[in-house]
Amino acid sequence: MKKILIIILIILAQFTYAEVNVVTTTTVIYDLVKNIGKEKVNVDYISRGNQDPHFLEIMPSYMLKLRKADLVFKIGLDLEKWLPQLIDGSRNTDLKEIDLSTDIEKLEVPTKRLDASYGDIHPYGNPHYYLAPKQVKVMLKEILDALITADPEQADYFTNNYNDYLKQLNEKIKDWGEKMKKSENKPIVFFHASWIYFADEFNLNIKGYVEPKPGIPPSPSHNAETIMLVKNVGIKIIVMENYYDDSAPNQIAKITGAKVIKVPVGVNGMEGINSYFDMMDYIVDNISNNI
Amino acid sequence: MKYWLINFIIIIFYIQINAQSNINPRISLVGTFNTQTFLGKDVENKGKLIFNTPELELFIDDYLNPYAKATADIAYEDGEFNVEELYASIVRGLPLDVQIKAGKYLVGFGKLNEIHAHAWAFTNRPLFHQIYFGKEGFNDIGFNFSFILPTESFYSSLDLGIFKGDAISKSEVSDPENSDLVNDWRGTNPIFVGKLGTFFTLSDFTNIEVGLNASYGVHAKSDNFEKSNTFLGQSVNNTLKYFYGGFDFKYKYRPDQYTSLTIQGGGLWNHRDALRDYSNFGALISLLNQKSIDTFGGYIYLDYVFKKQFSVGLKYDYTNGIIGDDPSFFTLSNDDQNHTQGIEGWIGFYPVEHTLVFRLNVQHLTFSFASAQIKEPETTITLQMIFSLGPHKAHPF
Repeated sequence: MKKILIIILIILAQFTYAEVNVVTTTTVIYDLVKNIGKEKVNVDYISRGNQDPHFLEIMPSYMLKLRKADLVFKIGLDLEKWLPQLIDGSRNTDLKEIDLSTDIEKLEVPTKRLDASYGDIHPYGNPHYYLAPKQVKVMLKEILDALITADPEQADYFTNNYNDYLKQLNEKIKDWGEKMKKSENKPIVFFHASWIYFADEFNLNIKGYVEPKPGIPPSPSHNAETIMLVKNVGIKIIVMENYYDDSAPNQIAKITGAKVIKVPVGVNGMEGINSYFDMMDYIVDNISNNI
Repeated sequence: MKYWLINFIIIIFYIQINAQSNINPRISLVGTFNTQTFLGKDVENKGKLIFNTPELELFIDDYLNPYAKATADIAYEDGEFNVEELYASIVRGLPLDVQIKAGKYLVGFGKLNEIHAHAWAFTNRPLFHQIYFGKEGFNDIGFNFSFILPTESFYSSLDLGIFKGDAISKSEVSDPENSDLVNDWRGTNPIFVGKLGTFFTLSDFTNIEVGLNASYGVHAKSDNFEKSNTFLGQSVNNTLKYFYGGFDFKYKYRPDQYTSLTIQGGGLWNHRDALRDYSNFGALISLLNQKSIDTFGGYIYLDYVFKKQFSVGLKYDYTNGIIGDDPSFFTLSNDDQNHTQGIEGWIGFYPVEHTLVFRLNVQHLTFSFASAQIKEPETTITLQMIFSLGPHKAHPF
């Protein structure tokens, strides 16, 4: 009898198991989906937290992930140029692509005709909005709507989780805002042009980038210009994503005395960074304490 | 043909410039410029700097509808325009999730053949490709059906194709008996190609892909075979068949976006009906004798990319047959007596991603004959520049 009950429970557990299969292009989205979907959603991701999401090789293993998915969430704005090839390779006709940038107030949308001489410019606007916590609220709403559409029976469950997470996020935003107050209008240099939304939210004064143009490797002449800039303006920190090569920032720092701060911009992008909150805590603490 | 292609290219560019709509096809252009010098006892223009005519490839591709895509690749090489590839593929929506590709394209035999030469880490096509498929690789007209196999924990696929067979028996191969038959050497017999590919993720940074390939069909057919052998009273089939069995692998370790180590290789076993030419009896008698031959060719290379912008590599090649021979029916893919070996090294510089590549490549070939014939080793030094203009697709593993 006991054995029969256990078997029945196991069978029932199968029916209550996660029904929506989701793949996210980045680990930041992965963390957000996990917090709303919890055990009712199976989530996997493509780009690791310590990987540059701009450039990914087309791996059949990614196609296999997408093959089983109902939804794929992406940052959009041309960040994941590799995604269409993966979706084609997955041959998944039922896969729904959710672009989380749809309702984002986009920054740096080009107003003139672009060509490759401008570097790796995103024609629809800067896609790094996930580094601004207020924009993450927009992402969360988009995720909630998509999950409810995919599994309407769990609408209440998803909505409750969404509300809980949003409450935590609002508290965190307040906390991060407090910490970043002392950084307001302070000059700063970043490695790559991915911090415009972050700087906008926390009123940082971006003076320049180590890359001469987005996606273009640092050159000796541009390094010299950056050294002059850091010295003249009195910039104290150079902030960079931890997956970029730090030789040019270190060279600039050595000459100017500025400090290079390498931060993760993905969940699991560094040991101990297991959530979006961990990631933003790390970024905010390191910038606010050193700027 | 040439004028048609030029007009076509002009129209495509005109449409692209004047209709800034999102439904325009994607157009990209790849230019290749090779400057070479040849070293060796018997080579022509020994030590001279040869500036080859730049080559270009114009790619036009995009979705036709939500289920299908189309691609055209028009190449300008050696002063001539050619349609390198022109195909459509149904990528989703078919039963069993099969993908169908139809048209003219690089056939999926081995890992390297499907990749365009300008995207390789090195300069020279593997020697066995040149012997068994020709200078342009295995490029043929036909249909391919691709299936994903139900292996849950790793990716594996099966490709089955039927092709015209032009890449297997080249039209320029001369009939030993009758040069008028040059253009109808194989008749209309299709060939069959199959590929089984498997991809394993070993760790976050390490992946390996292995494949098995096969191709089967008729490589030559002629009534002349029988005529010539009535003299001997020996029976010779007028249909000569071949079987190619291939393997390939690619291992890549990529700990970060700046560094990678690739080890890739492949090989081909060729089993075919062949005719031997015994023309030493004099001009009046030309005897043919049929037998089966088994030959082999393969390559392996290692490419190390560091600081994202630099690469160094080494490739070893072996194949039956003598590279550089004028194609004839009794040489090249039918040659089980002689072989060529090659060693190739390179240094590459990629200033910004793969939009521009500079590469210094050295290839040394040695030739070995079963007879007393001698061909001196040849060394080719190539300085190569490749640029890629237009939308840049992500690189396949």
